[in-house]
Amino acid sequence: MAGFSMRPCGDFRTTYRQDTRIFDTTFVRNAAILGIVAVGLIPFVLDGYYVNLFIQISYFAIAALGLNILVGFTGQISLGHAAFFGFGAFASAWINNHTGIPVLLSIPLAGMATAAVGLLFGLPAARIKGLYLAIATLAAQFILEDFFARADWFTGGSYGAAANPINVFGYEIMDDFSFFYVSLFFLVIMYVLGSNLMRSRDGRAFVAVRDHYLSAEIMGINLTKYRLLSFAVSSFYAGIGGALYGHYLGYVSAEGFTILLSIQFLGMIIIGGLGSVKGALMGTVFMVLLPEVMETGVSALSVFDWANSTAVTDGLAYIKEMAIGLAIILFLIFEPDGLAHRWQQIRAYWKLYPFSY
Amino acid sequence: MKKLIAATAMMATGLSVGAAKAEDSVFVGHLMDITGATGFIGKFYADGVRDALSYIKENGGIDGTPLEFESVDYAYKVPQAIANYKKWRSRNNMVAMQGWGTGDTEALISFVAKDEVPVYSASYSGHLTDPTGKNPKTAKPAPYNFFYGASYSDACRAMVQWAAEDWKKKGGEGKPVFSHIGDNHPYPNAPKEACAEYATELGFDVTSPVVVSMKPGDFKAQCLTLKEAGTDYGYLGNLGPSVVSLVKSCGTVGVDPTWLANIWAGDYETLKTIGDVDNYVFPVMTSFWTDEGVPGMDLVREISKESDKTGKEFRTHHYIRGICSVYYMKEAMEWAKENGGITGPNIKQGMYALTDWVPKGLEGVCMPATWTAEDHRGINTVNIYSGEAHGGDVKVTKLETVTLPRRDDWLGY
Repeated sequence: MAGFSMRPCGDFRTTYRQDTRIFDTTFVRNAAILGIVAVGLIPFVLDGYYVNLFIQISYFAIAALGLNILVGFTGQISLGHAAFFGFGAFASAWINNHTGIPVLLSIPLAGMATAAVGLLFGLPAARIKGLYLAIATLAAQFILEDFFARADWFTGGSYGAAANPINVFGYEIMDDFSFFYVSLFFLVIMYVLGSNLMRSRDGRAFVAVRDHYLSAEIMGINLTKYRLLSFAVSSFYAGIGGALYGHYLGYVSAEGFTILLSIQFLGMIIIGGLGSVKGALMGTVFMVLLPEVMETGVSALSVFDWANSTAVTDGLAYIKEMAIGLAIILFLIFEPDGLAHRWQQIRAYWKLYPFSY
Repeated sequence: MKKLIAATAMMATGLSVGAAKAEDSVFVGHLMDITGATGFIGKFYADGVRDALSYIKENGGIDGTPLEFESVDYAYKVPQAIANYKKWRSRNNMVAMQGWGTGDTEALISFVAKDEVPVYSASYSGHLTDPTGKNPKTAKPAPYNFFYGASYSDACRAMVQWAAEDWKKKGGEGKPVFSHIGDNHPYPNAPKEACAEYATELGFDVTSPVVVSMKPGDFKAQCLTLKEAGTDYGYLGNLGPSVVSLVKSCGTVGVDPTWLANIWAGDYETLKTIGDVDNYVFPVMTSFWTDEGVPGMDLVREISKESDKTGKEFRTHHYIRGICSVYYMKEAMEWAKENGGITGPNIKQGMYALTDWVPKGLEGVCMPATWTAEDHRGINTVNIYSGEAHGGDVKVTKLETVTLPRRDDWLGY
């Protein structure tokens, strides 16, 4: 899906290394770096609302990339991603609260702990696939959700757990301004790692397992190993995303990690584009911004007197919720390959302009 | 394309008009859930808050300072609640917020404490009552969180205290049996341990909690568990459709304990839906819409006209509790205006300025409350009502008013 690239005339590749570069051309690489620098200026230019939206995008996008590695690249299905996301949040809070390990270290440790849990729940993947696996992961969702509410020693039970703010060299990252940079740092690192993984031997094996498991096996790929590895990597990403979420809120409660969030993660990668690293990011941006755009639209109507009666505002609230669902359905019908595919088409259009082929 | 530009322009105008209005006024954000997981009950409370805010806006604001507010349906999704909070904070200079559920209130504890924005929510978790973290059991101090009413724990304790007396009055022999019934979820679990401890202290035999899903269903198996345990008093920790299904299921298998419902599970609407029940006890923190001769009800009826011009629409006590929540905030803001300006920290001080106070105009409706810098249990008095329903006729009678001691070990718990 993501193989289509725009290469300038005369740019021949003579080695595999050249062929698997993260960025097709120097221009694309420079543009990406410039893009990250531009994003880094957000807190100086835009207000707290946008900064918060960016932070939301970053922790969700990290987890969404994890799910895309599992679903989009390896072809396994998971309906329990929110539970792993939650596990990461609780694990990081627990590690920091009980061992005194600084938060910046407890976040990757929580990722590893979540990877271990993911491995455990990924075990059925060695034997089953498709719908059966989906239901097995659904069980993981419910088991972990119940665990969150019961394991007082680990999660604080119903009361939830307090998560300390990130502390860098004695400076506490309490406000959104500084947390923005922490989340940007993690986002970039995790996405570069993700892109690299997909260029590696293991990443190629994931894709082979997805495309045709029998052929993959004949080629010598250990199916069980790679299916489990995919679960572990996916959960590692979910754990890192969850840990960031926990430390951002300063408080982790079992209530937030329901099946609905798992489905939302699936929505993000489907809308963004299955099997595309940048698709995971694009899908997350879409899913986080859509309700906000709808809300702005609805509240913009309040300048009119007729829109201020309770009946109308309540009606608009329902329309807002329905429109989000509608947008997703329309997306699936008209853009089934996701935003990443649309992005490729836009690039192709400008590259080939004024000729359409 | 033209339409898109027009729509963008319209939205931009809307935003700039909003900004222009904000001058010399104070802004209060209002998070409500009318379409989400708790929307069926959230709507009643949200209407109360919204009507009270618009009434204040139209009738002089905060001692002459215009009041601006925005009600946003966040559909019980925490990220949306946080985004709205951030928006109001950075764009509208919000001084106080009316919130709603457990998820959003807890997620916002750190932000509001840092930004010094008092939040008045409808989440009555006991652990929001400890502003300094004095009790070692408090997970996290919540210095800027307030709520109007008794905490879930205190309301349950009051009902247990009433149940102990009731058992004696009925001439019950041996130890009465108490069971907590609810989903394994932060909201029903909030008073679980606190209430069970007090029940044991009062001589109850406390059974293991019975887990019942928050979603409605057939709960006959759980009812049989209650039958086997010989439950005399069952605390209903869930709300709405789940509680209705449970009471109905138990009715069909002949399990008939005295139900002790939490505050969201006891009202005319719920009793009417259950249809046939005798022994349904629930806590109430305000007057009822049908009460006569209560001076403050005149103001409540005026406020109700904000969304119902006829003034005849029936309002639940959740609606009235929403009004109380707004009016306590309003008086604290008025105090703040006289004492250095309407800012978050001053509003917080305003909450501590008086003891045993009732907002002006709501005498008899809201109960006298006292908040202090060390204790955010505004109210430790609970009115206990009993409900009966037979074939659509609902009868509600007041049983008792229980005042609990302000025990230190109960703070934040």
